[in-house]
Amino acid sequence: MKLDNAIKGVLDAEAALAKRLLAVGERHAADHDVYHLGHTLARQAADHVTRLTPFAERYHMAPPAPPHAGDSHGILETLRLKRSQLMGRAESAGMLLLRELRETYLLAQATEIAWTILQQAALAVRDGELLDVISTCHEQTETCAKWLRTRIKETAPQALAAG
Amino acid sequence: MPDRIADIWGRRTPYGAEARWPVRVDQYLEDGVAEADVEWVRSACVLCSNGCGMDIAVHDGRIAGVRGRATDRVNHGRLGPKGLYGWQANNSPDRLTEPLIRETGGRLRPASWDEAMSLVAERSREVLAERGPLGMGFYNTGQLFLEDYYTLSLLVRAGIGTPHLDANTRLCTATADFALKETFGSDGDPGSVTDIDCCDTIFTIGHNIAETQTVLWSRILDRLHGPDRPRLVVVDPRRTAVAREADVHLPIRGGTNLALLNGIQHELIENGWVDRAFVDRNTVGFDRLTQTVAEYPPERAADICGVPADDIRAAARVIGGARRLVSTCLQGVYQSHQATASACQVNNINLLRAMIGRPGRAVFQMNGQPTAQNTRETGANGDLAGMRNWQNPEHVAELARIWNVDPLRVPAWAPPTHVMRMMRYAEEGSIRFLWIIGTNPAVSLPELARIRSILRQKRLFVVVSDAFRTETTEFADVVLPAAMWGEKTGTYTNHDRTVHLSERAVDPPGAARPDMEIFLDYARRLELTDKDGAPLIKWRTPEECFEAFKQMTRGRPCDYSGLSYDRLRGDNSGIQWPCTDQTPAGTERLYADHEFNTATDYCEDYGHDLLTGAAHERKDHSAMAPAGRAILKAAHYLPAHEPPTDDYPFWYTTGRTVYHWHTRTKTGRVRRLDAAAPEMWVEMSPADAERLDLAEGDLVRVESPRGRLKARVRIGGGRDGVVFAPFHYGYWDMPNGDGDGGSGNGDGNGGRDRARAANELTITDWDPVSKQPLVKTAAVSVTKVTEGGAQAR
Ligand code: SF4
Repeated sequence: MKLDNAIKGVLDAEAALAKRLLAVGERHAADHDVYHLGHTLARQAADHVTRLTPFAERYHMAPPAPPHAGDSHGILETLRLKRSQLMGRAESAGMLLLRELRETYLLAQATEIAWTILQQAALAVRDGELLDVISTCHEQTETCAKWLRTRIKETAPQALAAG
Repeated sequence: MPDRIADIWGRRTPYGAEARWPVRVDQYLEDGVAEADVEWVRSACVLCSNGCGMDIAVHDGRIAGVRGRATDRVNHGRLGPKGLYGWQANNSPDRLTEPLIRETGGRLRPASWDEAMSLVAERSREVLAERGPLGMGFYNTGQLFLEDYYTLSLLVRAGIGTPHLDANTRLCTATADFALKETFGSDGDPGSVTDIDCCDTIFTIGHNIAETQTVLWSRILDRLHGPDRPRLVVVDPRRTAVAREADVHLPIRGGTNLALLNGIQHELIENGWVDRAFVDRNTVGFDRLTQTVAEYPPERAADICGVPADDIRAAARVIGGARRLVSTCLQGVYQSHQATASACQVNNINLLRAMIGRPGRAVFQMNGQPTAQNTRETGANGDLAGMRNWQNPEHVAELARIWNVDPLRVPAWAPPTHVMRMMRYAEEGSIRFLWIIGTNPAVSLPELARIRSILRQKRLFVVVSDAFRTETTEFADVVLPAAMWGEKTGTYTNHDRTVHLSERAVDPPGAARPDMEIFLDYARRLELTDKDGAPLIKWRTPEECFEAFKQMTRGRPCDYSGLSYDRLRGDNSGIQWPCTDQTPAGTERLYADHEFNTATDYCEDYGHDLLTGAAHERKDHSAMAPAGRAILKAAHYLPAHEPPTDDYPFWYTTGRTVYHWHTRTKTGRVRRLDAAAPEMWVEMSPADAERLDLAEGDLVRVESPRGRLKARVRIGGGRDGVVFAPFHYGYWDMPNGDGDGGSGNGDGNGGRDRARAANELTITDWDPVSKQPLVKTAAVSVTKVTEGGAQAR
């Protein structure tokens, strides 16, 4: 049985996604929805890791280090305002945002397919508990990708066709 | 008549269930004007979404007073203080009477219409040539007339071809619009104000009806003080006049509406207070909802919301026992964390109990502004005209056919751009032309320092049309003087879909013009044409525009095809859409047959994920196949983005007072209204005041990570830990409040020491679905500056 492989696949993908969502949120803090949802979804990805970790042991995988998902706090606000006035004023901000959202979307897709793979394996070994966790997390990951898709569809015209 | 400043709701005229609400005509004429000497002109009030029918008194070519119309279905003759006195703003001496152009030196100088409009058109052509339609933005209001909006919608969507058109309704009713679309498939409040007359229970959350819609509150008060008193459940962190009448009052923590509503639904389901036959037949999503709210037993909801679990149970028991339930919500839901998700739960509560489409059974996703409904119907905000679905190519093609333009001309690749995003585009420099119409973002948008810094940019050309100079006109390159209500003819629609006609009673002052005429002039100058080369906009008068609009709505939820100006002049004062040849008297309630607007081909929107705002696409909607059933949407509570901390220990919430409207551009110019609430204040609980050693009238500094303000303290009955600030006060009427950016220091806030606008402190954050800014969720600190002096009141 090589379920540890599929679990590791999900854990790595979620950790990478969480890290990227945080980074994009921070870099594009002047796009306030990207900042807030980036943090919320990064926390969600981190939570997925926490929920899957107990199964790593069950399937003999070395436990991963918990990923870090930051919180918003006051001082950032001031920094963010300044940044929005400096970097946020650059017209290239839209192009940069589009590129990073696209990369994040691909990570979300990679995470989604990792969950699908794990789900198939969990079905085959008839692990009901694992399937419960998968079903929530998988759906949330799909929604995360869908949000990125929505945001990309809104961003692309302004970044590419204005000016 | 008694002084209606002190006696806001007037004399009680109690009535029992299913009786007719008694008529009480409220009238106010200027001193020295006799009733015999005035001519009455038909209109309706434009100072809140209730849309009370009123007549305007004209004397010597001026507006000299108003009276409520006894036969009107909405108000039965009544008017509230804003309606009675607000018209005086029309006559104020500082109306804008000529266009203004900013000189190189920075001052605004008078100009002719031709000079001003040439400049606006020339700059538009330049931006269009350099950057294309995506370089152009338009931000309007919830206070124009239907005809103004529809002209603007066609002009911008099919003429300019940009998705960047939004209205300040984004700040007030975007969530109502989206919650209705999510649950029922389309916008349009299902109920009727007459549902108040026959309900036995009222559930209201985050809606200070007594101050926001005073005449609606009079109607409710008359039921509460009559026989068969309806029971009343109120959710509001403040002990408002509404809360004081309640059977159950839940003063919950800010930002926790969703947890409470999930808790109430938990109880409804747990105790079997659900109409299962209705739910099975007429809704989808019940299983998911049950699973979600199962995690919110009253104890958990009580923990999150900071109210006793037994009170949550009591509220659920009242709602669960209702036989005729009217639910309402407003800004306490719409401007808070998880706005659309929470508003959808209010819809759910009525659906679980089959409280929809029948007398006394209604849910009101309330509007704030008087004509907000029309921005949504015409597509002058975040919707497509005629409640069409921007993701449905058939709908877009139909609109293009009606407008006689190529379907590709209509920007439908994404939802219309919301105002906060438009501001972001202006900030990064991809929008270079911004026309602000009848609204005052320099006071009403969140995080004012940021907004001012965006509007002040040299590379952004700002046009402002308004009736007065405002904090926003101080950033304008061109200012255009607009006619107000009473000075133009047009229609508008209130929150229960009642359409009124308002006739021109007097001429606009000086060279001021109706907004529709300004847009027509602009379209002519830009030579906007349809696909055959004929002028894009085919009408010249408001009535012609209305005729075109009503054809455009044929077959859509907001069907106006049976209406006309003549019918609106008839004996029936106020007619509710849909109004067709088959239903000429209008339609009192939507969904009387429990068939909702959710068929995939018909619906206005495919819906969203409530947590992220991820847009569902056609395939998702088809897969769900609601096909005429209402959609029960479920969501989990999440903590707000900016909870109180050690440095900023108070929850900051902004709101309204009964005497003022928006940024006081009108009400601040009416002596009685202004005198009733002349000064900015903040409200705190007695316990908090005591802890900070504050007495009524002390001056405090309130600070958030984004800004600060100074105001006097009122000690009220609100929740501990909450600071309330009215959002009406800006800088135009402060000493030295005009001129250079409103301040003399170029920062438009009266200088650091004089900052008083509530939005100096608010956070730039919006609901992921409705994109409504969350101006009720921020953390602040409070410091005493000086004691006493002038009383806050
Ligand atoms: S309730 Fe609203 S519409 Fe009616 S008079 Fe008052 S402000 Fe005007």
